Amino acid sequence: MRTVLRVLAGLVLLGVIVAVVIFFGFTGAGPVPPASRDLEALDEETRAEMVSLGEYVAKAGDCAACHESEDGLALAGGTPMETLMGTVYGTNITPSEAHGIGDYSPDDLYRAMVYGIAPGGRRLYPAMPYTSYHAVSREDIDALYVYLMAQEPVEKPNRDADMAFPFNIRPLIAFWNLIYRPDPPEGPGPGLSAGEKLADTGRGAYLVDVLGHCGECHTPRNLAFAKTGEHLGGTVIEGAVAPDITPQGLAGRGWTETDLSQFLSTGLSPQGVMTFRMFPVLSHSTKYLPERDIEAVSAYLAQDMPEPSEPPSDPDAIDAHPEGHRLYVGLCAGCHGTNGSGQPSGSVPMVGNTTLMLDNPLNLQRVILEGIPARQLSGHLRMQEMPAFDATLAEAELEDLSGYLRARWGVDAIAMQDQ
Amino acid sequence: MTAMMTVFMTINGTETEPLEVPEDLMLLEFLHEYLNLTGTRYGCGQGVCRACAVIHDGPMGARVVPACVTGVAWAHGRAFRTVEGHADRDEEGNVTAVTPVQQAFLDHFSFQCSYCTPGFVAAAQALVERLEVDPVPAEDVENVVLEALNENICRCTGYVRYLEATRDVILATPGLTIGDGRAEGS
Repeated sequence: MRTVLRVLAGLVLLGVIVAVVIFFGFTGAGPVPPASRDLEALDEETRAEMVSLGEYVAKAGDCAACHESEDGLALAGGTPMETLMGTVYGTNITPSEAHGIGDYSPDDLYRAMVYGIAPGGRRLYPAMPYTSYHAVSREDIDALYVYLMAQEPVEKPNRDADMAFPFNIRPLIAFWNLIYRPDPPEGPGPGLSAGEKLADTGRGAYLVDVLGHCGECHTPRNLAFAKTGEHLGGTVIEGAVAPDITPQGLAGRGWTETDLSQFLSTGLSPQGVMTFRMFPVLSHSTKYLPERDIEAVSAYLAQDMPEPSEPPSDPDAIDAHPEGHRLYVGLCAGCHGTNGSGQPSGSVPMVGNTTLMLDNPLNLQRVILEGIPARQLSGHLRMQEMPAFDATLAEAELEDLSGYLRARWGVDAIAMQDQ
Repeated sequence: MTAMMTVFMTINGTETEPLEVPEDLMLLEFLHEYLNLTGTRYGCGQGVCRACAVIHDGPMGARVVPACVTGVAWAHGRAFRTVEGHADRDEEGNVTAVTPVQQAFLDHFSFQCSYCTPGFVAAAQALVERLEVDPVPAEDVENVVLEALNENICRCTGYVRYLEATRDVILATPGLTIGDGRAEGS
């Protein structure tokens, strides 16, 4: 009996030692490359160039997606991110000494973005997309640093994460990092500062997978909330479908490279208008990308894409779903057209609509029930409000209507075509 | 060839004959072309300006719907009130008394060209009837009125006079508000 206890105690001790070694030895910040230049001694011209590049890094990296404040200050923090484990709030990344990153060194910013380690060794939740940012170049982070430090500090305290036990024990993130953080960063590329030297596909991959961190929403996650190998394969996040944006997924819903460019730069394409958490991506990020970068992103997303499908349409759905058809003609056709053609700046077409072609009807049903606010897209482009029908439609009617739409122009029409 | 359907509905308290109409006909066209009720106005044609607003009397009480984008396929079998149906009339159809909302719009000189007026009458009347069931604190009335009429567009910019008229009707009608809205600062 005693021997058993001794062996057990020995095993526990060994386990603790291994855990401590892992914790301190392998899950802190990895190597930090030297700063691209002495940021303390910049001449005025270089500083201005770095601020301008840094601003672009911040936009392409969509910092504001999470670090915007409730009252719309891009970097002051406060945006909630709801996960199954609890809610985390974007932090203040203005140069406030008390609440923001005013006391960060350039190396501190690098460690936070690439390794998810804040000064003092505090581990960030992987809601901070450091598994995507892990390949951001040192030059780009330095430019971002100069830009962030040139902003007005906002004296706004951070809101503590509201996570359930045991996820509220931050040191445990070390073990998540051990398994899921790609260490060391896979070949940090030359980054945006390399300009023309970064080949277009490389630039597209860098904008999509690294700075744009598209996979944080579009890649399915496992039980540990880490991104799986189904890169950009689509998933449900924060109550909405982030669609499959692999070349196969996009082609299956009829997207072309040109459509993608139009969608990313204006928020609108023949497939529909940006909704849910994708709309702020337009207003914070993609509408600022110059044409060359938009094209690089689309080319990367559409790499080796199969021939895009024609928009499906199955008129037999009218007889197969008489109740849904009656609701469509009575409540929707006034704007979307009896034949589903839509109206410019008024309503998106149903023919070719990407939401109707998703396997999961979640987004379609939420849009019908909640409506979509009027949108100021980019430039002169606007979309009028879509009203909410939650007070008009009973649950069975919602099912009838969405079933009809999916059968007439959506996922079930594709299935009929393929037969 | 557009599919046809037979529809009937209750308009201003009277049930229409069953009529054979195109299935994608909008309620506004039905009122104009089949019933000769031309008071409801066609504005933007996309359900935004609310010139075409009519009252739908449904299980939830009086609610405003844009007649230009609401199809007869949905309106079939339901009850609506248009601008012609608010005032009291004698047997020959002559107006004998307008509603308090209509009177207040006249008293406040709320409209100039009047194109938006039928929509404002519908929205204000629906609000008054909602407050009969669900009164609000008197100090909230201005906000409630603004919210209820905010979508109606008036190109002559009579907004303030429409809003003030509606507020006055609500504050002067017993049972629509709780408390005394004039207690503080007004």
